[in-house]
Amino acid sequence: MIMSTRAVTIAGFVLVIAAMFLLEFLARRPGSRIPTVGQWLGYLMRPRIGRVLVLLGWWWLGWHYFAR
Amino acid sequence: MATDDVPGESDRAGRRSEFSLWPASRKNRVRTAVIGIVVVGYAWAAGATEPFSTISLVCVLIPGVVLAAIAVAWPPERIPPPEKLDITGMFYWVIAVAALFEWEASAWKDDSLPWHPSLTDLINPLLGPHIVKSAAILLWILVGWALVRR
Repeated sequence: MIMSTRAVTIAGFVLVIAAMFLLEFLARRPGSRIPTVGQWLGYLMRPRIGRVLVLLGWWWLGWHYFAR
Repeated sequence: MATDDVPGESDRAGRRSEFSLWPASRKNRVRTAVIGIVVVGYAWAAGATEPFSTISLVCVLIPGVVLAAIAVAWPPERIPPPEKLDITGMFYWVIAVAALFEWEASAWKDDSLPWHPSLTDLINPLLGPHIVKSAAILLWILVGWALVRR
């Protein structure tokens, strides 16, 4: 069966998002070298500019999906 | 005493920074419950707004302004960030995030044609039902609060 281009696109998104969940799962295992989302976001938010940019990104997501 | 060297509950590293959904004191429990009810009610009301309306914009602005005010004026106890990240471990995340952006950018470049929809085109229909949109808004607010504590 040949997948339509739309199905391939959706499969791509599903694959990448599933990979992110898998990474988070692996990161939470004891002794893992992979940081959790919270850890690397926390690291990015150490400088004030990083904190501002991450929070702006969070707000933008809300605006993009809920106000538009 | 022989137990002097044994760390107690209050001695554990990071314990003070852990977020408790159900704080110890009765006053804090009541406050948390009231805030929870208000936030859930807010998400329910915000989920009922029409997209591209002024009220929907205001409903998104309010949590942003409130959390920004808390972050600046009344910062909560923050969860200490790691001193450094493992480069190899972090690289897996960089690959995943870059792949997501690349996939989204290619859809955007193609003007989100039906055969190559963007993530927004796929998610927006899912946010149609009121309860789903309200749940998503609630999740968004909770993520914002978690970020303020980082």
